[in-house]
Amino acid sequence: MCARVAHFDLRDQSGAPLNLVPLSIGFGLVTASVLALASLGLTLQFGVTNYVNFAYGAFLTLGAYLVWQISSGWGVNFIVAVVIAALCMGVFAVVAERVVMRPFTRRGSALFFLLIVTFGLSLVLDNLIQAIWGPEYQTFSLPSPGPLHLGPFLLTSYQLIVIGVAVVVMVAVHLLLTRTTVGKAMRAMSDDSVLASVSGIDIERITMLTWFLSGFLAAIAGIALAVTTVSFVPAFGDGFLFIIFAAVILGGIGQPYGAMLGALVIGVATEVSAVVIPAQYKGVVAFAILVIVLLLRPQGLIATRGKA
Amino acid sequence: MPAPAEDPILEVADMHHAFGGLHAVDGCSFAIARGALAAVIGPNGAGKSTMVNVVSGALPSQRGRIRFDGSDITGWVPHRIARRGLIRTFQISREFGGMTVLENLLVTAPDQPGERLWNALFRPALGRRRDRELVSQALEVLDTFELYSLRDEYARTLSGGQKRLLELARAVMAEPKLLLLDEPMAGVNPALIDRLGRHIQRLNAQGITFVLIEHNLEVVERICDHVVVMAVGRTLATGRMAELRRNPEVVTAYLGGGHLERATG
Amino acid sequence: MLLPPIIYEIATLAVFFCIYNVMTWGLNIQFGAAGILNFTYITFMAIGAYVAAVFSLPPQTPGTGVTYVLGLNWPFPLPQVMGGVAAGALGFVVGLVALKRLRSDYLAIVTLAVGSIIYTFVGNFTQLFSGWDGVVGVPEPINNWINLDLNTYEIFYVVVVLAVMLLAWFFTHRLFASPLGRTMRAVREDGDVAEAFGKNTFRIRMLAMVLGCAYAGVAGALLVGYTGAFSPDGWTVGETFVIWAVLLVGGRGNIVGTMLGCFLIVVVFVEGTRFLPTGFLSPNLVATLRNMVIGGLLILTLRFRPEGILPEPRRHFAEIRKGSPEAERAGAS
Repeated sequence: MCARVAHFDLRDQSGAPLNLVPLSIGFGLVTASVLALASLGLTLQFGVTNYVNFAYGAFLTLGAYLVWQISSGWGVNFIVAVVIAALCMGVFAVVAERVVMRPFTRRGSALFFLLIVTFGLSLVLDNLIQAIWGPEYQTFSLPSPGPLHLGPFLLTSYQLIVIGVAVVVMVAVHLLLTRTTVGKAMRAMSDDSVLASVSGIDIERITMLTWFLSGFLAAIAGIALAVTTVSFVPAFGDGFLFIIFAAVILGGIGQPYGAMLGALVIGVATEVSAVVIPAQYKGVVAFAILVIVLLLRPQGLIATRGKA
Repeated sequence: MPAPAEDPILEVADMHHAFGGLHAVDGCSFAIARGALAAVIGPNGAGKSTMVNVVSGALPSQRGRIRFDGSDITGWVPHRIARRGLIRTFQISREFGGMTVLENLLVTAPDQPGERLWNALFRPALGRRRDRELVSQALEVLDTFELYSLRDEYARTLSGGQKRLLELARAVMAEPKLLLLDEPMAGVNPALIDRLGRHIQRLNAQGITFVLIEHNLEVVERICDHVVVMAVGRTLATGRMAELRRNPEVVTAYLGGGHLERATG
Repeated sequence: MLLPPIIYEIATLAVFFCIYNVMTWGLNIQFGAAGILNFTYITFMAIGAYVAAVFSLPPQTPGTGVTYVLGLNWPFPLPQVMGGVAAGALGFVVGLVALKRLRSDYLAIVTLAVGSIIYTFVGNFTQLFSGWDGVVGVPEPINNWINLDLNTYEIFYVVVVLAVMLLAWFFTHRLFASPLGRTMRAVREDGDVAEAFGKNTFRIRMLAMVLGCAYAGVAGALLVGYTGAFSPDGWTVGETFVIWAVLLVGGRGNIVGTMLGCFLIVVVFVEGTRFLPTGFLSPNLVATLRNMVIGGLLILTLRFRPEGILPEPRRHFAEIRKGSPEAERAGAS
């Protein structure tokens, strides 16, 4: 995640030393933004389909690699590359569901088969990515950003863009869920799939659209993660996956607003913790939060009856 | 038939359980006599299923107490209540599909030393010996339920009616003092209703107390000696079916959502 | 005494076959019997390997760059036992958090998270097990007494591992055939109903979890005794996956099925392909392709033959009915 700067003597524009805690909160917002993008995709898909997609980390990775290939590999403009990659991942997610997952959901297979299958899919995808692009670290050939001082925060322009994109996406998702028929259908399916199906909602179509959205958001999250971590490698999405889980479970699985809230809490908490503990152990903080949630309130902050 | 007050095996006192703002059970009290063949009836939404879940320990009682066979079982976990002798079945048949019919019966029987890890690994003879007893017992039970020929079939391959019989047979192997049956006749064809009813009467005569949650009032009238009527989360009335049919409160409660006047539920 | 190289290749395969068998039986207890989804099974093997290593290694020598805790130089079989105990203990702790929830995905998520955390921790906290470089120079079990040359020892180790495997087979079989095994399967089929019939489902699941993890620990201990070194490279998610594939392709709930799956996937696929001429394919690419095929094989197996090649055996019981000759004999005993 974001680089730790605690050992440097940081000063703001007027020369006064910067306080570490607000600084970490700033980084925390960046992490929270990436997390929010990723968590939304996962939680929306879970809400509608009622099972966890363990290949989601691989979706993030694939999205990032696609952007890299299209922009750095084929010289397409970066923003255009992001859009193309996100659309591709959306389609990919739909296809993956149809080809890999659908035979099991149609049969009414036990939940654990589905989970193992998505787990298997993640392995296949990880190795496919490695086979195509090799196991070495990749970077984006983007111009180096300069740090910007924004009050107590110290962020690069890319990080600010990531935060901005996250905010835009969150608002867009909110509008989707509250203003559009599709969004309302998604909420209905998430709340009560049986009732939704008898109310005339086209389950097939909504499921397909949800998967598309899931893949789309995964790609955007993947690229956001790759940009904020400077370099990336085929397994990096998987390493981030359990932190996404922590955010999703904290917020309440299947709850998009919960996911946003969870992302904020986990993002800020992990970065602020880096003030006191070594940076490599940031994941432990997310894990600790996950454990505490599961022990005390497994349904999360915003609970759905019957889901947890 | 002893009145509940004299020798109740099950006493529910002021049970409450709310889901958020919905008070599913709202001050329910009743008693069941030892050896009774009782029923709990009531229109949809009366709180019967919630009451069953609270009695069996699957849900907590948020107020009030439950006494079973001389012990206060309020707050006990389900497996402890079951071992005490209160066995409940579920509304939809939930057989152990990946196990044979015979295994379904063997697994519910209590006191199997082979279930302890040490015995399983180092003293298998103990488990085998108890299994021999249980097998002969289970085969008898299967015979009476006319499921003997299916003993080595996987339970998931049974027909709906056979699964119903299996539910009851399996529950009997658990050596219950009280059997709490959640809608045993739901979706069952009339011939099978008859058979199930006769099995229940036979087992009751052997000493098992029964509490049936039922919508089929004709069966209730035929085999039950004591009926508790629930409505809006409370006990409305108790007594024999014939008297209850004449009780105006009961009739009103049912007119809202059930069919009290007609012969069948 | 130097035997033809093919003997040593077979010996290596045999060792891996036995070790993977033990590992997969552990997962079979967790998933095949009790239905527990452990997506980080390899972490428990790793802990077993590390703990066995630090119990059998002498105290760390400063200046070598290899740092680790303990270093008690204990003889066989104590480090191996400690490996199993440590893995079992970790399984116990994880179970306490994860097994109270009945939903499979939560358990899977927690195990995945635990794996990630421990991996990061072990890699970064170098004082524990020498970080990303891992421990090296682990002494060969028993060899301090009998002092065989390296080649003979390889053959000897096959015997050691085989003995442990047979022991594991014996106990796993007993467990599966026992009433406890039956109860585990009931908990797997429908935990709520099992609970309603008096089974303490949490305790049953914990038992399966701890036992399975202990098996993984012992397997890890045997592995580190053979390879002499262990580092985080040896435990990736892909490794957990191989074990799942062995279990599901071979047949979950079936002990012999596990051996078959092990033979097919570990011996033929994983280890066998090591001996393939690489030609135009880099070893890295071969490994990647291999993983993809295993992943695909797993999905296809679940799709078309979910019970595996050798399905869980149907249990029959000797008929002892009242009045039958068997009953007379049984009654008399």
